[in-house]
Amino acid sequence: MGVCLSAQAFGAASLTVIWDGDDLRVAAPQLHFLTGKPLERLKDGASVVFLAQLTLTTDHFASIQRRAPERFIFSYDLWEEKFSVTKLGPGQRMVSHLSSSAAEAWCLDNIAMSASGLPQDRPFWLRFELRAAEPKDEAAVIGESGVNLTRLIEIFSRRPRDQQPQWTAEAGPLLLNELKRIVGRAARIL
Amino acid sequence: MRFAWLVSMLGSSLLLAGPPDTETNVNTRYTVESVELAGENPADTADISKGLRGELTRLVGEKLNPAALDDLARRIRRELHVRAVTHRVLRGQKPEQVRVVFDVRGRPAKFEASVPKLLYLSQGGFAGAVAGTATVGSQALTFGAVNDGDELVERYAGIVARYEDKSLLSGRMRLRIQFESYHEHWDQATTAAPGRPGGADPAAGFYGARTNLEPVATWVVARPLILTVGVSFERLQSFPAARTEAANAMVTTLRYHRRLEGSDANQQEWDAGYSLRAATNLLGSDFAYARHQGDVRYVYSWGRSEIVDDLTAGLIAGRAPLFEQFVLGNSSMLRGWSKFELDPLGGSRLVHNSLEYRYRRLKVFYDSGAIWDPGQTVVLRHSVGVGVQQNGLFAALAFPVREGRIEPVFMVGMNY
Repeated sequence: MGVCLSAQAFGAASLTVIWDGDDLRVAAPQLHFLTGKPLERLKDGASVVFLAQLTLTTDHFASIQRRAPERFIFSYDLWEEKFSVTKLGPGQRMVSHLSSSAAEAWCLDNIAMSASGLPQDRPFWLRFELRAAEPKDEAAVIGESGVNLTRLIEIFSRRPRDQQPQWTAEAGPLLLNELKRIVGRAARIL
Repeated sequence: MRFAWLVSMLGSSLLLAGPPDTETNVNTRYTVESVELAGENPADTADISKGLRGELTRLVGEKLNPAALDDLARRIRRELHVRAVTHRVLRGQKPEQVRVVFDVRGRPAKFEASVPKLLYLSQGGFAGAVAGTATVGSQALTFGAVNDGDELVERYAGIVARYEDKSLLSGRMRLRIQFESYHEHWDQATTAAPGRPGGADPAAGFYGARTNLEPVATWVVARPLILTVGVSFERLQSFPAARTEAANAMVTTLRYHRRLEGSDANQQEWDAGYSLRAATNLLGSDFAYARHQGDVRYVYSWGRSEIVDDLTAGLIAGRAPLFEQFVLGNSSMLRGWSKFELDPLGGSRLVHNSLEYRYRRLKVFYDSGAIWDPGQTVVLRHSVGVGVQQNGLFAALAFPVREGRIEPVFMVGMNY
């Protein structure tokens, strides 16, 4: 059974919040970020790093309660014309042979934030941010020695550079007890 | 400390991340079919070194390695001094193969200071030139200062200003306008020499100041043939009388350059040129002459060894000012001899050959040549020398081959 709460969104995409087991997840079927410059770079055979961040606040973003950054690397198979996505981090996962919308959905499906300890009757807000890393930033956030966390946080703290693609959507106020809790991955497919 | 919790939470997990391309770019399974360099301006990509070109070629047949492409793009950018170098990967002609295209984007605005010449000769003292060049795109503006007692009969000191557009007509033409203003100093050996230009008049033929305005255009006729055509408006202020003479001339140079690479890392290089400066009354010149000069340079290199042979010949017909006279016995021709001893006024006929063997930083050379005027006996002279050179610095000791007392000439310089 899928459970969600439609929430207010910024930009064209609407953000849906899902309470999946102990985690909060988001879905935004109308969000299409494989466009513009990042798509051009992908079709030029390069890989593109997308940095995503889920932020939780209980005071409408006056202060940040929790933060969950993730990194995804996209590439585009020049011969098969399909996308491949790798989620970096523990249990690194990779999928391939995806259409552009399937690759975008897989990316969002793999962003989660723990809801444990969050009072069920206290309102909270969620902000979802997604940014395509500048080619010159890629080495700084992903390298052989791992991600430079200070750099990653700094990237999300500053305004995007001109023409640097970024997508932001917010949801809230939300209450956990108003979100139906689901168990199992089927609920994530909306 | 606002994000300390985040750092601790993610620290261990994110450290597992690997480089993005080697494992995550799905195209790394494809084989590189070809590598191309593409630029807005063909001149931008023409100067790439043999070594780097070789590395690009070696990508062909290998699996696509995006990290290597990034590295090569950085190196191309550094080597060509261009604004940006990006790469694209495209489908190849055959399945499972890809083409790599490096896009070279324009030269940025920059300022460069350089030392085109810095030289000390134990006979002749110092010679030097400094220049600053501001470049925007293909256009460059240069200002420089010169004090040179080595190249010509006279020592000249002054300023040079130059405007260049290096890419006209899609890179096939180059325009240069140069202005020079010098004050001259004459060695006593020259002013006292018999047969000086003014004959009985001790001042005639010498000038205290010289200015030159020289617009020239260079065409790539058909690689490797390059033609330069222009006009030189030269003004000579007589010395000590304040009389001005013009030596306006058509200037033409035709150059040929060819590099041949053998199968065993042997390399041959041919560089040849012919230049003509023709002063005529039609251009308002007080002098009428034609100065012809030809040179051929051949370089054969193998391993760490190199043989260089440089042949130069020149002829002046008519009455030419002293700065046009040929000179032997300086830092580049018939090294070891003094130009004032050979011909303090310079000559209107010249033939010279320099044979040089280089092994890594060491070099030995053998120069031979003659300088004369019509009616004089042609005397062939020789010199030998040894030297070291590295990274634009050189030092050499040259010995004139002659009977009697031999005084070697020591020379040291850079960027020359």
